[in-house]
Formats: sequence, C-alpha cells, structure tokens
Amino acid sequence: MSITLPTRVAEKSRRAECETAVVPLAYTEPEPSHQAGAEAGPVVSLDHVSFCYEGEPTFALRDVSLSVEPGSFVGVIGPSGAGKSTLCSVVSGAAPHHFAGTFRGTATVDGMDTCEVGLTDVSRVVGSVLQDIDSQMVAAGVEDELLFGLENFGVPRDQVEARLAWALDACGIADLRSRDIATLSGGQKQKVAIAAILALRPKVLVLDEPTAALDPASSRMVFQTLRDLNDSGITVIVVEQKAALLAEFSDRVVVLDGGHVVLDGSPRSVFARRGALREAGVDRPRVTLVSDLLSQAGAFPAEKSFLTVDEAVAGLLEALPCAVAAGPAAPMRASRGRAGKAPCPPVTGEPVLRLRDVSYGYERGRVAVSSVDLDVRPGEIVAVVGENGAGKTTLTKLVAGLLRPTSGEVTVCGLDVRRARASEVARHVSTLFQNPDHQICRQTVLDEVTFGLVLQGVDPTEARERARGAVERLGLPAEAAPFALPRGRRQVVALASAMAREPRLLVLDEPTSGLDARERKTVMGAVDEARQGGCAVVMVCHDMEVVSDFATRLVVMAEGRVLADGAAGEVFSRSDLLARARVAAPQVADVAGRLAQAGFEAFSGVSDPRELARVAEGMVR
Amino acid sequence: MVGLFEYSQGSTVLHRANPVAKLALAASLCVATSLAAHIPTLLAIIAVVLLGAVYAGVGGRALALVRALAVLAALMLIVQTAIVRSGEPVILWVTDRGLDLGAHVALRLVAFAMPLVLMLSVTRMSDLTNAAVEVLHLPYRYAFAITCALRFVPILAQEMARIVEAQTARGLEVDSPNPVRRLRLTVPLVAPMLIGAVGRADATALAAEQRGFYLRGRDSSYKRYPMRARDVALLGLCLVVIVLGAAF
Repeated sequence: MSITLPTRVAEKSRRAECETAVVPLAYTEPEPSHQAGAEAGPVVSLDHVSFCYEGEPTFALRDVSLSVEPGSFVGVIGPSGAGKSTLCSVVSGAAPHHFAGTFRGTATVDGMDTCEVGLTDVSRVVGSVLQDIDSQMVAAGVEDELLFGLENFGVPRDQVEARLAWALDACGIADLRSRDIATLSGGQKQKVAIAAILALRPKVLVLDEPTAALDPASSRMVFQTLRDLNDSGITVIVVEQKAALLAEFSDRVVVLDGGHVVLDGSPRSVFARRGALREAGVDRPRVTLVSDLLSQAGAFPAEKSFLTVDEAVAGLLEALPCAVAAGPAAPMRASRGRAGKAPCPPVTGEPVLRLRDVSYGYERGRVAVSSVDLDVRPGEIVAVVGENGAGKTTLTKLVAGLLRPTSGEVTVCGLDVRRARASEVARHVSTLFQNPDHQICRQTVLDEVTFGLVLQGVDPTEARERARGAVERLGLPAEAAPFALPRGRRQVVALASAMAREPRLLVLDEPTSGLDARERKTVMGAVDEARQGGCAVVMVCHDMEVVSDFATRLVVMAEGRVLADGAAGEVFSRSDLLARARVAAPQVADVAGRLAQAGFEAFSGVSDPRELARVAEGMVR
Repeated sequence: MVGLFEYSQGSTVLHRANPVAKLALAASLCVATSLAAHIPTLLAIIAVVLLGAVYAGVGGRALALVRALAVLAALMLIVQTAIVRSGEPVILWVTDRGLDLGAHVALRLVAFAMPLVLMLSVTRMSDLTNAAVEVLHLPYRYAFAITCALRFVPILAQEMARIVEAQTARGLEVDSPNPVRRLRLTVPLVAPMLIGAVGRADATALAAEQRGFYLRGRDSSYKRYPMRARDVALLGLCLVVIVLGAAF
C-alpha cells in the first residue's frame, strides 16, 4: 500500500487560476475544515495532463485539458484503451500517488494541485468508485463499509449517525443497512459503494463504468441516483459505455480516444458528430440514428435530432399526420427482421439443446430455475434476458453440465447432461463466461486458443493451425501475453478459444459486457458467422441493442421461470411482460411501442432503427 | 470454504460478548487442547465447542466443519499408525500405540480448528479488528491486514471455484474421478487465481487509502468495545478451561 511517487514534469506556468465559491449540498452540517476555504471556478481542472504508467511504452493519457464546473454531470466515453480509467485515476489522485509513472501537466481539484498534496487530501474532495466493486469493499457488512471512511476521516461522533442515514437514504438503500455485502445483488453493491463514498460528502464523485455488470433496470437506477446527487450539488464524472444513459442523464459528454479528448460538449452536440464518433469507435443512441435517417431522407428537420426516447416519441408524434393514427395500419409495415440484416429463414432440424421441465435449487432452498422447457436448433441465436438473479447464469451452467438439474432433463447433442461429466459435455458445447480471466490460463494468445482445441482431443499440430486461423480472423496478437491485454481484448481471446473449436452449441454469458462498440461488433460478428455456419447459440445478455440486433429468438426469464419465448420484436412490444420481468426494451422498440399505443399500429413490433425510420418516413410523406 | 467465515446473525451472549473475550476463549480452548493428555478430555472439548455452537445458532455449520475436518483427521490417523509401529499389533500394520497417538493427533486437529472458526462465525470482522485495536492496542494496519487476509480466504476460494468451473466447461478433466489426475490438472490453475488476487488486493489497498486509511488511529472506531462484567467472566472461564485441560 506504499505510495511510489513518480517522475513528474509539471508545467506550473499553465495552471488554471481559481476564484472562490462553495458547492451547495442538500445535507447540511457545520462545514468540515477542508471545505471552509473552497475556491470558486472549476472544481476539477486538468491542464495539459499526460500520464504514462511505469513500465508501459506509451502514454495512457496525452495532453488532456479539461475544466469541470461545480455541479456538472460529465459523462466520459471512448473505446478500450482510450484512457478513461486513467482520467478517473488522475482526477481522484490515484495517478500519480498510487499508480507510479510519468505525470506531465497540472491536475487541480478544488484548488489543490494533486501532485503537491497527498492522496488522502485529494480524497477529501473527490470520492472515487472503482470499476471492480468487490475490490472496493473493505468490510463485510453495509454499515461497516460506510463507517470505514467516516471513522478514518475523523467525522465527529455526533455527526456519524446522521451522515450514515443520509448517505443510505440518498442512495435508496436504508433497508440494506444491516445486511452482509456478500448477500447483495450487483446493483445493490454498486449503490453501497456509492453510499460509502457519499457519506464522506465529496464535492466530486468519480465513477468508472458503474453499470458494466448491471441489467438495464439496475443501470438506470444507478444513474437516477447519480442524477439526484448531482441535483443536490455534487459534481459527477462518470465513465460509461452506454451512450443512451449518457445522452439522457449527463449535461456534458467527453469522448476520449488514444488518450486524447476528441470531442467535448453537450450530449446533443457530441452525439450529432457521427463521423468523429464512428472514427473513435463510439456508439450513438439509437434514437439519434433514427432522427438522422429521417433528416437524411428529408422527412424531418436536421436540427431536431433525438437524444432520448421521450424526445423521439414527442418529435415523431408531432411530425406524424393524425389521420394515419385514426386509420388502418399503414400498408408499408415491413417484415420484422433483425437490425440491418435480412430476416432469418425459419429454423428447422433437430434441436441441439433440449430442456424439459428443468428445475434447479441452490442450498438454503433458493430455487434458481423452475420448470423450464426450451429447444434450440442449429442456426438460432436465442437470447435469454431478465434482471440480475432471474436464473439466467444458472441456466447456462445447467446447459454446460456444470450443474445437474434437481429435476427434469437436459439433452445436448443427444447427450443426457445428467449422466455425463461437464468435461464430456464440453466436447459439444463451447461456453464463454462473463469474466474472461477465469478461462485464460496460458502464456500466449496462440497457446491459449490451441489449448482449448487440444482439450477437445484435436491433434496438437492441427490444433495450432486452427488456432492460428481463429486468432488471425479476430485480429488478435498471436504471441502477446493474454493477461497483459486490455479487458475487452481478453474477452475476444476467450471467444477465439471457444469459436476455434467449431462447437455445435455455443453458450455465451454476457459476451459484450464491458466491451466498446468496436469490440462488441467483432465479438457479435463472429458469433453471427458461427450461427450462419449452423451453430446453435444461447446468449445471456443485458445489452438490449445487441439482443435486438442479433437474436433470432428471445426468452424472458423472471424468478427462475420462462415468461415468454418468441421473436424479439414481438416480445419487446409486450410492455406488461417486460415490466413484470424488469427488462427494459431497447430504445427503438420502446419508441415503436409507445407510437403503436398512440394509435400508429404500423410501428407495432418494430425494433430496428432503419425500419422505424422507414415506417415514419412513409407516413410523413 | 466459501461460507466458512461468514457472520451469522444472533443476539446470544456469544454474539454480544467483547470480541477480545471471545478470541481469548477460543485461544484458551486451543491451549487446553494442546495440554490435554487423554482422549476423553479432547472429546469433551469438542463436545463443549459443539454445544456452544448449537447455543449460538451455528450448530449446522459446526457439524459441517466437523465433517470436513474428519477427512483430514482420518488421514492424519492413518499416517500416524503407519509411522508409529511400536506397541502391540492390533490389525494389519496398526499397533495399539500407533492407534492411540493417531487418535490424539486427529482429535487435536478437530479440537484446535473448531473454536477459532466458530468464534469468527459469531463475530463481525470489523468488530474483531476494532476491538483488537482498542483493547489490545494492536496497531490498526496489522489488525486490518489480518482481517483482510481472513476475508480474502472465501473470496479466493470462490474465485478458484469459478476458474475450475470455466476450465471444466472447456473440457479440462478437473472433474475426473481420478483424484491424482484431478489434483495434477487443478494445481496449474492457481496461477491465474493469484494473478487476479494481486490485482484485487491492489484495488482494495487503493480504495482503503482513498477513504483515509492512513489517518486512522486507535480511537477512530465509531463503536466502542468496553470489557463488561460478562467479558471478565468469560476471561475467568478461559482460566478454568486451561486448568481443566492441563489437569485431565
């Protein structure tokens, strides 16, 4: 835990000058000493900051200048390796105080040069929520987790209880106060992590991908909490890959690429920069794409681009002629294919996977999967969606033979999983787990992919050749050490290992979690290619855009049961069902559903932005 | 292993007692175990610990622990009988002296491990840390390091289980019926687990530092841990336990 101070070439002459102001907070008590002399102007200021981690050949952050005003809600987005986490580390003081390296320029928080004060001093102003929440927890219980910081910073005893209660209330988790952290869901843990920081009353909250492992409903809850805190005066800087969340909640978006700031402005101005975003490999909200398509076709004014679902619904309702809503469904209702792709032909053939009345209960009587029936045929991508804890991962483990059903029957390629060992089932099934680090165990990328094939019984020479082909197809560095690659690339390595085996059934647990837009495209492109080659795919996924784009069928789970099984467009149009399963429809399906409810039947079941634009265009003209 | 050190909610005296007094009681049972010369005494110690566990509502966990330790104890017994060949033969290579010594070793193992593990299941880690700092004047950073290490045991066990699961799903025969093959295949998987553990420990250290770890002093804890009358009584009980262990 020792701090190694790095080599630093600070350029003092460029330091920003600050004035005086106090950040208002909803919680009121005597001002702690560190806030008494607070200065006005930007609460965070980076002046030509560059940072290179010790031992790394290149700078992670290059000549970044940013100024964040008190009370801002800043979203940071960018591809893997863009320097987003490093930016968080610089603002929170972790770089250079915890991560050694070369620091250039000046980073100032609340008037303090982060290099000239200790990490603890920076932490009095900036609260940091790390990417890996489990690592951030220092206590076993929720209350103790919150107390830890309060005790360390010497908050007066008579104020501790009020601070604790306020932080818990502000995050909406007062009922979790006496719970053990190990028993909480991902979303609850995330809120505990935020509350533990919030209790210290930071002026600035810095969060690194707080929703990476969360379902859409929990992700929105976390962002809503951040919005409420921001409304009370706390400055929020959040790294996030989900463009739709940033568009809805932040008031400023910063796009990083290659360590540089490439775009910086309001969500509307940033997400309007289609070319620059594509070059940086950053997605835009799907509704923005719809308004672009409409304005390109001359059916909608270019200046009225949509940022959120509400804007899209209001804008389209305004533009669509009322007569159409009252009349019969528009004749141009298109087939409900997957986004931008030809509709899949009906799938026939014997199921590769068959589940019959399958149930599974964990110890302590908790039923994770209950009476599930499911057939998956070659050429299908079956997406399984549901909130955290709905039983999706348990289902994948039952399919992979890692768990044996308490009752019912699981058959994979004719093999009864109940009577086979998991390593035998693996000859027919390739599984990609959420965390690639659990799968990687070899020194080089090529060795890693080869190892998977050798385990399948392929001759080592042939295995190496096939592995080389898979590695090249996915654009991976064959001789690189897998653990030295960024998280997204490690996920692609694990996928290469699974794909090289040419399985008949591919099981994916959150294949796109934590990936940037380009990596997501690479991963899902490879999966779709395998499907076209006759592979059957079962995919647990929280990313509804990915589901909408690639799934040929959608299974909705809640409390261990299958609530619906059908085409994505149809399932996404059933708002009552989605609410019951706490699943959020993708933006386009949400807009289409609300327009259909308003009487525009032609939008019913649409989940592809191009199709939505086509239908709207046909009506407007 | 995963739920081994998990705190079990309760309001019994064993839950409410000062963590230092509980630690002393567990330690005194260990001392008594090492002093006890006879098998009935060792059995009595195990029985007392089991009764205490039932009283504190962790009887199920105690029995599960006994079952897990029994495998190790049986192994120790066999090894001892193979080493100690003096005395009268009983069956095969086993002699009465080897059996007696083996039984002592096996029972000592069970009696040693149980009090400490069960003490941890009725004591929150944070309470143990804070009480050790306040009452025993242990420097906080050492107390924090010890409790972190204890907290990491189930986390690493869980991580290892996930790695084994992922490798099994790739076809690695870590589910082979042959225990030697299973062990041979599992051992190399410790490396990725340790790589993950180093990263995790570093992130925890950063998170602790960002929440004022280095500012913490002996009086920082919000909760107080005074030694009450029942805690003094427990310390008295510790002496009785040690004396009885030495006497029998």
